[in-house]
Amino acid sequence: MLTVDHLSKRLPGGKLLLRDINFSVGEGEFVAILGLSGTGKTILLRCINRLTTPDGGEIVLTDNGTPLNITQSNASEIKEVRRRIGMIFQSFNLVKRRSVIENVLIGKLGRISMVRSLMRRFEDDDIEMAHRALNRVGISDLADRRAGTLSGGEQQRVAIARSIVQDPCLLLADEPVANLDPTTAEVVMEHLRSISVDNGISALAVLHQPELARKYATRVLGVRDGVIVYDGDAGLSDDDFETIYGSNDA
Amino acid sequence: MLKNRYAVPVLFLLFFIWSVIRTGFSIRDLIAGVPNLSNFIGCMFPPAWDTFVPLISPAIETIQMAFLGTVFAVALSMPVALLAANNITPSKPVKVFARSIIAFTRTVPDIVFALIFVSAVGLGPVPGILALAIHSVGMLGKLYAEAIEEVDPGPVEAVEAVGAGKLQAVHYAVIPQVTPSFVASTLYRFDINVRSSIVLGLVGAGGIGFELIMAMRLFRYHEMLTILIIIFIVVMLSEWASNSIRAHVIGEEVLK
Ligand SMILES: Nc1ncnc2c1ncn2[C@@H]1O[C@H](COP(=O)(O)OP(=O)(O)OP(=O)(O)O)[C@@H](O)[C@H]1O
Ligand SMILES: [Mg+2]
Repeated sequence: MLTVDHLSKRLPGGKLLLRDINFSVGEGEFVAILGLSGTGKTILLRCINRLTTPDGGEIVLTDNGTPLNITQSNASEIKEVRRRIGMIFQSFNLVKRRSVIENVLIGKLGRISMVRSLMRRFEDDDIEMAHRALNRVGISDLADRRAGTLSGGEQQRVAIARSIVQDPCLLLADEPVANLDPTTAEVVMEHLRSISVDNGISALAVLHQPELARKYATRVLGVRDGVIVYDGDAGLSDDDFETIYGSNDA
Repeated sequence: MLKNRYAVPVLFLLFFIWSVIRTGFSIRDLIAGVPNLSNFIGCMFPPAWDTFVPLISPAIETIQMAFLGTVFAVALSMPVALLAANNITPSKPVKVFARSIIAFTRTVPDIVFALIFVSAVGLGPVPGILALAIHSVGMLGKLYAEAIEEVDPGPVEAVEAVGAGKLQAVHYAVIPQVTPSFVASTLYRFDINVRSSIVLGLVGAGGIGFELIMAMRLFRYHEMLTILIIIFIVVMLSEWASNSIRAHVIGEEVLK
């Protein structure tokens, strides 16, 4: 459903960060991306929803049999692509001075009319859907709180609820649990897995702990020196670990 | 090295001396003027209390000039600031254009705008309101744009990442972040505009300032003192009002 073909991305300074990235993500898969800090995992995710423009290669997203060429999209097609791709950030990226429920409703902004959205009036159905999404992630009692007053784990669950409301076919997550304690991290990962399974959403998550990848992912991609050096089972052998993280001269 | 160390103080001193000579600033004249000054102040006492009540109406007009001038300035400054802010502007030429508007309106003093508008639309508060509205864009546009540039880009990206447009991203992720600083800048500008609208009255733009210059021209010194007392009250009241609103907004920040 997502195919990345010969993707390349150069840094502003001219350095070729992503050289030749090739992989695909199938229906319902939960794929973890592992790799050393600075290898370009974040930039890879941002190329997929076009928060960044890649320099070469092709990314195609197929939703309900309709292929969308992400790399060839113009501005309005990019919006169409983004509507189908949810994104979870390491720093949650909620609007702190707004209520939790309004943050969840932001997930709907790609699908409602400009006038309605500028009046901040949402349909009753959408509001109910937002409450159900909060209920799904176990924080329905926080709907009216200011988002900035929530704990990190609660904020990430609001972000997940925002993605549930958005109803994408692919979910990108960039170190979704890096700012959370181990127990809360498990809770959040569990929610990510459950919406992936229950809603049939494929997921592509950058993780920094191979144990989390082993537990939650169905597959692992290892990124190194601008290419995919590992594509396979989530249970990494010592050799696989070395391939992804080991020092080059070892 | 050594030369540089002395260059600034020496230039400062030379310019100071030249300025004193050229403007004819002399302490002796100043001291000689003290009896005149005290004589003048003496003439103003006691204030003409019978003019107090009739002067309340122009005092309210002054506040209303400042209020409307500030409201229109906010309406003008917001779009200009969005176009001028590095992180929101649609393109470089647009940004340069918006920044030129800000620079121009800030550089031209409000009194110059007022003189132009008085000759265009005649005496009264309207030219004063226009002058305040336009000159304030120079400060508010700049402060707003700076606040917009300091916004956390994360939430803005999160809104854009769901497929929303730029305008929606501004509305949902930028505006909430800049609201406290917008409120503070606007109240600060309102305080300045209350004082400015008094000065603009002196060039014919209505309000209590216009009454002051008329009283002065007609040598009604007792009435002048009443006007000065009213000006003092007006300034105190408006500062108290904006301080209460500020405290209310900031208080809300802390509590919620
Ligand atoms: N806007 C930019 N301008 C210049 N260099 C950038 C920019 N954005 C990212 N980089 C560089 O690109 C490289 C890869 O960044 P990226 O954030 O994708 O790494 P990452 O694999 O996600 O690392 P981490 O695991 O630490 O999050 C880094 O060296 C970073 O400094
Ligand atoms: Mg990263």
